[in-house]
Amino acid sequence: MELDTLVTNMIGPLTPILVTLAFITPLVSKLTKSEKKAPFILATIGGLYATLTTTTVLYYVILEEKPLIYKYGGWPPHFGIVYEIDLFNALLAALVAWLMLSIILYSNWYSRYLDEASWYYTLLLGLETGILGCLYTGDAFNLFVMLEVLSISTYGLVTYHRSRAEAVEAAAKYALIGAVATTMYFVAVVLLYSGFSTVNMAYLALLSSMLETPSLKYLSLIAVSLALWTFTFKSAIFPNHFWLVDANPEAPTPISAALSGLVESVGIYAVMRFLYTIFGEKSVLVEYREVILIVLLTLGAISGVVCALMMMYQRDIKRLLAYSAISHTGIIYMGLSAGFLISEDVVKIAITGTLVHIVSHCIAKVVLFMASGVFIETAGSRDLDEIGGVGKIYPLTSAAVIISILSLAGLIPFIGFYSKLLIALGYISAGFVLVPVLIIIITALSIPGYMKIISSVIFNVPRKTYEKLSRSSWIEVMLLLMAMSLLVLGVIFWYLMPIFEKTTLSLIKGVDIYVQVACEKIPGELWRWLPLK
Amino acid sequence: MEIINTYLLSVVLASLLANFVISLYAIFFKPHYIKKIIALTIFSDTANTFAIFIGYRRWINQNPSKVPVLTDLNPRAVEEFAKLAVDPLPQALVLTAIVIGLAVILFLVFLGWILYSHYKTLDMREIRRLRG
Repeated sequence: MELDTLVTNMIGPLTPILVTLAFITPLVSKLTKSEKKAPFILATIGGLYATLTTTTVLYYVILEEKPLIYKYGGWPPHFGIVYEIDLFNALLAALVAWLMLSIILYSNWYSRYLDEASWYYTLLLGLETGILGCLYTGDAFNLFVMLEVLSISTYGLVTYHRSRAEAVEAAAKYALIGAVATTMYFVAVVLLYSGFSTVNMAYLALLSSMLETPSLKYLSLIAVSLALWTFTFKSAIFPNHFWLVDANPEAPTPISAALSGLVESVGIYAVMRFLYTIFGEKSVLVEYREVILIVLLTLGAISGVVCALMMMYQRDIKRLLAYSAISHTGIIYMGLSAGFLISEDVVKIAITGTLVHIVSHCIAKVVLFMASGVFIETAGSRDLDEIGGVGKIYPLTSAAVIISILSLAGLIPFIGFYSKLLIALGYISAGFVLVPVLIIIITALSIPGYMKIISSVIFNVPRKTYEKLSRSSWIEVMLLLMAMSLLVLGVIFWYLMPIFEKTTLSLIKGVDIYVQVACEKIPGELWRWLPLK
Repeated sequence: MEIINTYLLSVVLASLLANFVISLYAIFFKPHYIKKIIALTIFSDTANTFAIFIGYRRWINQNPSKVPVLTDLNPRAVEEFAKLAVDPLPQALVLTAIVIGLAVILFLVFLGWILYSHYKTLDMREIRRLRG
């Protein structure tokens, strides 16, 4: 079969297969009378299929060097919902699918602490559907729908341990503000539709660079501000970071990993898509775009510094990791707002750094959370002072934790070093020294927090004798393998650099191709129904 | 007739804006959980009504818009229809948003029930075991 048809045939059923598996999970669990095994197998099938599809799509997009369009129901773009996949979202989706597979495998080990595991797997598959849909879609309204799928799954998963009052409280606060945020995004889409008469991202990008009336300028400014409020909420950045630090400790551990690793990256992706593709440098927003980017830079810097400081005072290991996640998202926002700099080379370097940082932070944070789950369940507490020395009986997990922390702190030769280096390098070559200094300050401030984890969990003298949990050895191997990937990616980084650079170019310079590919799919006689003349 | 139409539409727009402000205020500053949920439903209904309002398209052609039902399929009638009819797409968007909103509100209500069984109150000022 041609690769072309193969990819189309794989990507079409992606959402239907995941959703079907999600909803038959409780039924199959009841019919087979298997509380944990059958749901896990179904979820693994879904995870494997998503991994296979996203990896094939990534391979195809790298090979073709132009975005891939999948039309739902055969309707051409602008009339129907399309998936438009360029290198940027193909890369992120492949990353998310692989990490999600590891989270599903880990959930099997963790499921001894879950009652009614079938509902857990239903929501987990729903979460995967939502994340992949958000990343792949080329339609602003479909992004809203997928954002809601993602959100409802996360609300349900955060409140999973509903016998714990704190979990319910965290979920209630998160869900209330989350519902407001997604409704805000709906208003933003409606405003965009009233101005541009389309909700397709490629057409919005085309029209925003063609039409230049003052009223459209203010309208898109309001719409983008509302949308960015939603996305900064989803990616948990100051001042909307409060939900992550509450929800993370209370959620089941695999979900904490998914929340701070994967859900955050969806928010970051949407911000970058809006500010680089839809309202790029040639768009109607031109002078306000710089202001917006500088505001995002400031917010990123504040959350980076403040949350790095907060890390020092935490005793709860999951809360500490949540603050670390926000601090790193702050660095990512500082990198992605490089678009206001004038020189193109500079922007390219900084955005490449941002991309690498998303990859390195996601992997490291997922490993750290899953490892912390192993420690917490062994010691029966989340308090760093009470679980001292528990790492001694899990040598492989401890090694994984140390490797991930070194990568997050940015040591050579881990991949976390190169990402911070590239962001700093971009800003330095533009003569903007404040950002590199801030990145160094954030890194320095976060080191005491990381050292607290290493020293208390791994090097402290155990207070009591811990018993190793059964069936934990293959989890340890998986965690070590994932952590080793951080080292391997760092060692071969200069060979990977061309791929990351191409991805960056597809984002900051690829608007024309993005629009062109979408326009090619329209049959001739439909052209005259489009809003442009 | 024209003036009355304009007047009524301005009243609708003004009340929509007022609703946005009031419901957002209530969501963030009213202490009671159920009141927050009520404000949330007002907020999402306002957003939906706003979408329908956008779909009326009166400011484009200055004419009262027609019902978006196509009865005649000859090309000129279709062209005339596209110029004058109410835009049906926002209505489709609103339909989706209503269904999603229903699910979220139901989830929040059940969450409130569990919240009450834990804390014996729904006053968010007293539900503060987390530090935020």
